[in-house]
Order: sequence, then structure tokens, then C-alpha cells
Amino acid sequence: MRARRPVSDQSSDAELLRAIAGGDTAALRLLHHRHAGWLRARLRRRCADPDVVDAAIQDTFVAVWKDSHRYEETTADAAAWLWTIAVRRLLSALRGPAHRWLNGAGDELPDVTTTPSAEELVLLGVEHGALGPALDRLSPELRRLIEATALDGLSVREAAKLLGIPEGTAKTRLMRARIRLRELLT
Amino acid sequence: MTTDWHIDPGLIEQYENGTLVPSRVMAVEAHMLSCAACRALIPAEDAWLDDSWSAVYDELHAPRVGPVARLLTRAGLPGHRLRLLTATPALRWSWVLATSAVLTLAVAAAWFGREGSQAIGQAFLALAPILPVIAVSGAYGPPADPMHEITGTTPAAGPGLVLWRAVSVIGVAVVMAGVAAVLLPGPGWYAAAWLLPALLLSTGTLALATSLTLPVAAVVLGALWLTGVLVVARTAEGLFVSSVFGPTAQLAYLLAAAVFAAVLITRRRRFDLGESR
Repeated sequence: MRARRPVSDQSSDAELLRAIAGGDTAALRLLHHRHAGWLRARLRRRCADPDVVDAAIQDTFVAVWKDSHRYEETTADAAAWLWTIAVRRLLSALRGPAHRWLNGAGDELPDVTTTPSAEELVLLGVEHGALGPALDRLSPELRRLIEATALDGLSVREAAKLLGIPEGTAKTRLMRARIRLRELLT
Repeated sequence: MTTDWHIDPGLIEQYENGTLVPSRVMAVEAHMLSCAACRALIPAEDAWLDDSWSAVYDELHAPRVGPVARLLTRAGLPGHRLRLLTATPALRWSWVLATSAVLTLAVAAAWFGREGSQAIGQAFLALAPILPVIAVSGAYGPPADPMHEITGTTPAAGPGLVLWRAVSVIGVAVVMAGVAAVLLPGPGWYAAAWLLPALLLSTGTLALATSLTLPVAAVVLGALWLTGVLVVARTAEGLFVSSVFGPTAQLAYLLAAAVFAAVLITRRRRFDLGESR
């Protein structure tokens, strides 16, 4: 292991992840304490069972420990990267306890680049534009799909799993949601 | 990404309560991803953080699972059963190493003394079926298993455990003998001829163990088999292999094994801790 300066509260996420890749559990602890709170708050809005959410968060940081070398600073923001892991851990925790024991915590991580998508940039402007009221007027099941795909960065198949609906239904709902949004925005 | 808009504590409270309008929820979530300062505003109790962290820490320091265990778990064997099986005395390294050493010697002897290889091949055929029986006799019960007393008091003890362990040791023994049989010089079908007698003797031992202890049952059946083989070898010297391992004999072994299996199933409640009754 190369000598590096010790991590502290002031270290950036990228520095922490580099230290974690070098086998530093103190860095993982700092990263956990920095991110577990908002991850929990956000996951709880997607799953009502707090035990499942806690298990997903634990799995997330175990996965980070095992795969921190796969994090690339240039392509992904650390928080967004953590979120993509966490929401997929939640998905596999939702698939039942048998799955968890079978595959362990650290099966493959998504190989996605987590740059903010066009939808996210638009959503940042939700406060000021016409998009806010339009989203509010969308029916809940359509909105949840938009949320899962645009905000959570899930594929349609994964979003269907998260919402507990068949994939075909998810596809048609997403299409309806897009049409409806277009209507509301014009 | 920078915006002049930030999350304030009131907004976070509404977000956590679920009283925020959906579009604002989305705005909050999108903003959270891009703004570390706002992320830090989201409260998390210290106790919860510590619990969560200690769970992560425990998992990082959990003992590593070996490749064999992982393979068996993939194949659908639950972890607790695996742990029970690894406690089987007859699966210890000493036993496995001894068996493989004997088999290696037999193969080596057959290859080096080519003129005597026929005799060694026949001796292998006669002795190979005993191998799983010896393994089974050490799978459970007082003399072989030092943990026997403790195992006996657990709800897991009884027919289920005996059968699980017997199957696991028979599996290992058959694989080892099978490898040796393939390596032996001699007619190709020798490699498979001993399998049915081995099946017969193993099920027979287990069936007999419903009224005797496992080792006694193993000795009785093993001795019966050996004397039978010796008698045939004495009386019909040239016809030894064809009479003991020929098609008729194999069919008889299969039928007898089926009978023993039936006995085993009907009397399974009787074999308890390998005690004699």
C-alpha cells in the first residue's frame, strides 16, 4: 500500500473512495456517516419497510468496499454513484431474503456513467418553470414511473420491479406519462 | 452544477413526512444529488448511524467462504446443512487422504507390475464396493464421532442427519474410487462394474443400521460380501469376474438394493442414535 495522507472529515468523496480502494476502513466509515443519512431518507420514500431500507444501505457500503476501484472520478459524481448502487441494492433486497443469501452482498455493480441526465437538469428547474405544476397534475402511478426512470436512473425493467408491476405495464405507463406531460406543458 | 436554490430545514421536514407536493419532492431529490451541503442537512440519529456502520463492519470482517462451500451453496444446499456435513467424521482430511493414498497405491501397483495387473484389477473390483461402506460406518455414531453425545441431544439428530451424512460420504468415496477405476489398466467396463454392488452394500448397511449400530452393520455386510466373493473365486476360478459382475448378478444387485431401500424407508424411524437395541 502506498503511503498517503490520512483521511479526515475534510476529505472529498473522491479522496475517501481512493483510500477505500487502498483498504482503509476509516475512510469507509467517514463515507458511510456522510452519506447514509440522505440515502436512507431517499430510499424510505421508495420502500415503506425500514428493515429493508437499512439492509439495502448496509449492502451498499459493503459493495462500495468491494468495488471502490470501479469508481471513476471523471465520469461519475460520488453521490450519484452511491445512489445507483443503493437503489439497486434496495431492488435486490425487495426480491426476497432468499436472493440475498444466494448471491451475497457484492454481486455485479451497474456499469453506468452517472452524469446528470437532461431530465435531471430540467427537474432542477422545476421550481421556476411550468414543469412543476405539470408534474403535480400527473396521476401518481405515472409520476412514480417518471421518478424511477428519470430521477433514480433505473431501467424500465428495474423500475417495474421496484413498483411491483409487470414490465409491459411499466412501458405503456411510461409512454402515457410522456404524452400526458407533453399535453400539460403545451 | 450550481443553482441559487437550496433546500431549507422546513422543506426537509416536509420531504421526510411525505407532505411535500410531488414536483417539489423531485426537485429536492435532484438537488440532493448535486449539492453536498444540502445532503449534510438531512438528519440521521447517531445511534442509527452506529448500528448501520457496525453491521457493515461485521460483514467486511466475516469469515471468508471457501470455494467448495460456495459451489454447494450455489447448488442449493443451505448453509446450516453444510455446517452439519462438515462435522462428519468420515469427511476429515485424514480419512480422505488415507483413502486416496490406498487407491493411488493400487493404481501404481497395477501399472508397474503389468503381469499381475489382471489379479489387481479383480481385487479392486472385489474391494471397491466396500469403500463406501467403510465411509458410511464412520459417518455417525459413538465410536467414530467424538461429537456424538452433543449431536445426539440436538433436534437435528436422527434419521435425517444419518442419511445426509451417509449420502455425502458415499458421494466422496464413489468419486475417489471412480477416478481410480478409470485409471486402472484392464477392460473398460471394470470402471463401472463395482458401482451397483457399492450401491447395494451402502443401502444395505443403512437398512441394517435400523436394528444394529452403524459400524456393526458395516462389518457384517462387508464380511458377507468378502466371503461371498472369496467363495466364488475359489470354486469357479476362471469365471470369477463374469459370475460376480456379469449382467445377471448386476440385475440381482439392483433388485436387492431396491429392497434394502424399501426396508430403510419403512423402518427409518427406528434408527435413532446408532445405539443397539
